[in-house]
Amino acid sequence: MTEVKRIDLGHINLRGDAGDDRFADGVEAALGLTLPVDPNTLSESDHRMYWLGPDEWQVVADRKNVPVLLKKLEDALVDQHVSINDLSGGQVTLHLAGADVPELLAKACTLDLHPSVFGVGDCAQSGLAKANVLIGYIDVAPVYEIIVRRSFSEYLLRWLRQNSHFQVGTASS
Amino acid sequence: MQRNRLENGGRIDRSQVLHFRFNGKKLEGYRGDSLASALLANGVTVVGRSFKLHRPRGIVGSGAEEPNAIMQIGKGATTQPNLRATQVEVYDGMIARSTKGWPSVNYDISAINNVFSRALGAGFYYKTFMRPQALWRLYEKIIRKSAGFGKAPKVADPDSYEHRNAHCDVLIAGAGPAGIMAALAAGLSGARVIIADEQCEFGGSLLASTAMFDDLPATDWLDDTLAALAEMGNITMLPRSTVFGYYDHNFVTIAERCTDHRNEAERHGVRQRLWRVRAKQVVLAQGAFERPLVFCNNDRPGVMQASAVSTYLHRYAVRPGDRAVVFTNNDSAYQTAIDLLRAGATVAIVDSRPGGAGAISQSATAAGIPVLAGHIVVDVNGGKRITGVRVGKWLGEAPQVVASSMLIDCDLLAMSGGWSPAVHLHSQAGGKNVWDDELYCFVPGESTQANQSVGSGNGKWLLSDCLQEGLAAGNNAASRCGFKPCDVAVPETGSNIEASIEPLWRVPSEEDPDHCPKQFIDFQNDVCVSDVRLAVREGYRNVEHVKRYTALGFGTDQGKLGNINGMAVVAECLGKSIPDVGTTTFRPAYTPVTFGVLAGDSVGELFEPVRTTAIHEWHEAAAAPFEVVGQWHRPWYFPKKGEDLQVAVERECLATRNSLGIMDASTLGKIDVRGPDAVEFLERVYTHNIGKMKVGRCAYGILLGEDGMLMDDGVMARLGEQHFYLTTTTGGAASVLSWLESWLQTEWPELDVYLTSLTDHFSTIAVVGPNSRRLLQKIGCDIDLDKENFPFMSVKGAELGGTQVQLFRVSFSGELAFEVNIDSNNALQMWNMLIDAGQEFDITPYGTETMHVLRAEKGFVIVGQDTDGSVTPGDVGMNWLLSKDKDFLGKRSLSRPDSIRHDRKQLVGLLSVDEKTVLPEGVQIVVDPDLPQPVPMCGYISSSYFSACLGHPIALALVENGRARKGEILYAVLTDGSVVEVRIVSSIFYDAKGERQND
Repeated sequence: MTEVKRIDLGHINLRGDAGDDRFADGVEAALGLTLPVDPNTLSESDHRMYWLGPDEWQVVADRKNVPVLLKKLEDALVDQHVSINDLSGGQVTLHLAGADVPELLAKACTLDLHPSVFGVGDCAQSGLAKANVLIGYIDVAPVYEIIVRRSFSEYLLRWLRQNSHFQVGTASS
Repeated sequence: MQRNRLENGGRIDRSQVLHFRFNGKKLEGYRGDSLASALLANGVTVVGRSFKLHRPRGIVGSGAEEPNAIMQIGKGATTQPNLRATQVEVYDGMIARSTKGWPSVNYDISAINNVFSRALGAGFYYKTFMRPQALWRLYEKIIRKSAGFGKAPKVADPDSYEHRNAHCDVLIAGAGPAGIMAALAAGLSGARVIIADEQCEFGGSLLASTAMFDDLPATDWLDDTLAALAEMGNITMLPRSTVFGYYDHNFVTIAERCTDHRNEAERHGVRQRLWRVRAKQVVLAQGAFERPLVFCNNDRPGVMQASAVSTYLHRYAVRPGDRAVVFTNNDSAYQTAIDLLRAGATVAIVDSRPGGAGAISQSATAAGIPVLAGHIVVDVNGGKRITGVRVGKWLGEAPQVVASSMLIDCDLLAMSGGWSPAVHLHSQAGGKNVWDDELYCFVPGESTQANQSVGSGNGKWLLSDCLQEGLAAGNNAASRCGFKPCDVAVPETGSNIEASIEPLWRVPSEEDPDHCPKQFIDFQNDVCVSDVRLAVREGYRNVEHVKRYTALGFGTDQGKLGNINGMAVVAECLGKSIPDVGTTTFRPAYTPVTFGVLAGDSVGELFEPVRTTAIHEWHEAAAAPFEVVGQWHRPWYFPKKGEDLQVAVERECLATRNSLGIMDASTLGKIDVRGPDAVEFLERVYTHNIGKMKVGRCAYGILLGEDGMLMDDGVMARLGEQHFYLTTTTGGAASVLSWLESWLQTEWPELDVYLTSLTDHFSTIAVVGPNSRRLLQKIGCDIDLDKENFPFMSVKGAELGGTQVQLFRVSFSGELAFEVNIDSNNALQMWNMLIDAGQEFDITPYGTETMHVLRAEKGFVIVGQDTDGSVTPGDVGMNWLLSKDKDFLGKRSLSRPDSIRHDRKQLVGLLSVDEKTVLPEGVQIVVDPDLPQPVPMCGYISSSYFSACLGHPIALALVENGRARKGEILYAVLTDGSVVEVRIVSSIFYDAKGERQND
């Protein structure tokens, strides 16, 4: 049985130079977590930070903390060539929980989600059905975090509804 | 009554009687039967009519190669055409029909074709129906009717299908002895294994084998081993699953039939599943096909593959005949003769080899089976069922090939022309096939991907070899994936050394091969030796051409039975060797797959994603019809009670121009651009001067392709010295971002610029009309909105109605207008606030149609509607946007001779001279409609609407040298041939000075 929850979270997109210590240090100071530099991994403290590319990350945090985090990042990275954008309005976060989740996702996602390959703390940008998503394995329970563009979210929920028998619940984290 | 059913044996459950209908007749079978075995058990001999000649045909094989027993299974919406009866499991209540034969297989009117068969040789249709050309339409109707096999259902498929992506270390195609050994080895090593087999149970040839493994029946070993595999957690076992496609990068597709074997009432859940497997290593253990022998009338019902006869005897406990002749050129069919004798049939062996068989010959003789070595079957007696065979002593190459002949009375002829490995998947993967001069077959050559072929699919005919090779391949594949190979005991199968095969591609006929009774090569497509010879005589030398001219290897079996024999005949005619002639190309699918399983769940609501804005629910509540733009569903118009499109749009246009309109423009593409090189980067991609833009100001910009043609357009805003915000068209959002990223990443990596899509984060609400400023002021805006402090083409951050927004003073309507960019989480609330506060101004929501009319009144182009990828900025009057001071993408192409041609089509306005006709978009424009056809065309209409504000229709058109032709009268030719007089005018119909938007 798969449980799907829509979680109200905030999102920040961050671009910068991972090779620049000032950048990594600044991010760490602002967010209280280590900048993930290994491809397709995430790091976590009070918030999660996803590696999206060699110079791109996404911070997922409590919505109400976003303005503070934005300010902290801007202050910590001032005078650096970075790009900090609030994407909270554009992202929908789903938490999928249950042992069948990898099998459910395998119906429409080409990633190898076998735990030996995609473990807790791993993430990837991929397609799920015909939407682009960011998938993170965030809890061994297992819980997978799926982040999708707002405009595709109704479509994706429809796909989930048709392919698994679940009720979409909502929860605020 | 199942008159051919044996009392004992077989893997059928006699306690479960299944009732089914075949061509309307009620029959019974048992659980475990294939449709073919059940038909044979019931003594059904004719199962179909042949494709072209409509000859009666019976069951030949027992698997995917079956050419004749092609069935329509089920009825109505869930029916499936063209299934091989040999691969269909019988279920209770099954309705099966032959796909060929009208009105019935036993009496087929078209069988008259057989009488004229001489005239129906290869290429008959090409030659006969070419002329007169005008009659082709008639010919085609009749040919279509008599061609093809089953019928597709006429109503929508009610079943569900799904896809499943899977990854594994080792994929094994085929669960016969070799495949199972490979799975065992790989599985024990710890690798992730998928093993798939097209049959309902694993075992392959062992299911019909009398072999002993370690002095116990091989099926005991099979049961034990399968139980062991099922207990390992790392093996996915897929029965009823055909590995049908092998693509690059070890991507393999499998069609799993989940519920097809059940009665329709008992089918629940997914009917078929498409497995899309990425395998690190692939083991191909598909087995081999027994070749038929090619002799006169070899297509008569009762002529079967020897191995199929053994399969029916052992697996299904069905004896397909009482008096059998076995005709062979190799040892394997001797076992069939012994099997038949043990099952109570009389049997004789005709062996083309003068020396006969090896050790097994003694077993046959000892059992009392007469063996005629050095003999051949030259012809068959009987029509709907064979009654006897004519056997002659073969004189080899002598001019008179047959010394004397005798008639042997029989009702079954089991034939074996040797074996051909199923090299299909190896070939699909890109591997070549190599001719083996001892085995007389193509075997898989070197692999081009990470795969290995094993067992009889690799030309290993002995069980012991198959097991050993499977084990080695399983271990090998696992170790290539980093697992430790393990020791697995291979059962002792006893020695069964064979005498070698002697080739017999075409049994010599007593008469001239072009005029003797038909010697069939490809049963399904009615291709005979004489057809192939004719094709070669007519000049076809390449086997691919011969295939297409004769249809050899077409249809559901794709030449699984006939191709090698056919190539041998081509080789004989050309005086070449078989490997010199070569095979035709093997392509997916190995056996036919349904459209349903390929589509998966991408049907109905899930066929295409529907993208919606944050304000969508309001549009739905307002009963707006939606227009699909890209994947977005945008409100088209907002009808009030009783209004149609026209009435609603006229109202929306007038309200917006006269007071206040509001539109959801959230689908615009939005890109954030930052970095020290942002100006330099944008200078290179946009045509206007970026550096001159002041912070806080906006500009209209266009993007050109490298060919100089308009690609996209939008408004850009300078938010800071190193910070810009771009908008793109709705449909261009993703492609523009990719385009910009690809230049940044591949051509100009030295530029320090970051791009971020904000398309979904911001919702955009356009507030449009003379009262728009008053509305914003009414709900409370913390910036001064007057003309001096916030002029047209400005941007400012603002607090609007208590919420932080980005406010743009831009206009796509020509009116005083503002665009509100707001966090999408707050967009619906803002929209509602604006609607409520706007009531005093009669605020009117409008959709894409009114947006189109308003912009057309202003002559604003829509990229993709008024442009088509062959339109330059100059063509639409945008040369003013092209900076002369810098280079930009596409600039050089604008000076090509074709780009500066004076007669290029240019954007103009058009008015119907009658002031009434709204011209259809897309119609062509001519100078003189009375010229003889084809009338030269000088342009076409790209946009056309009725303008409520102007009280008459307006249109935009692209017309050759149009700007110089203002005032000229031209003619629009409608699709019904009528002609409308039009006058060329300026493309700006409304407020040409642009005073309203600057207000």
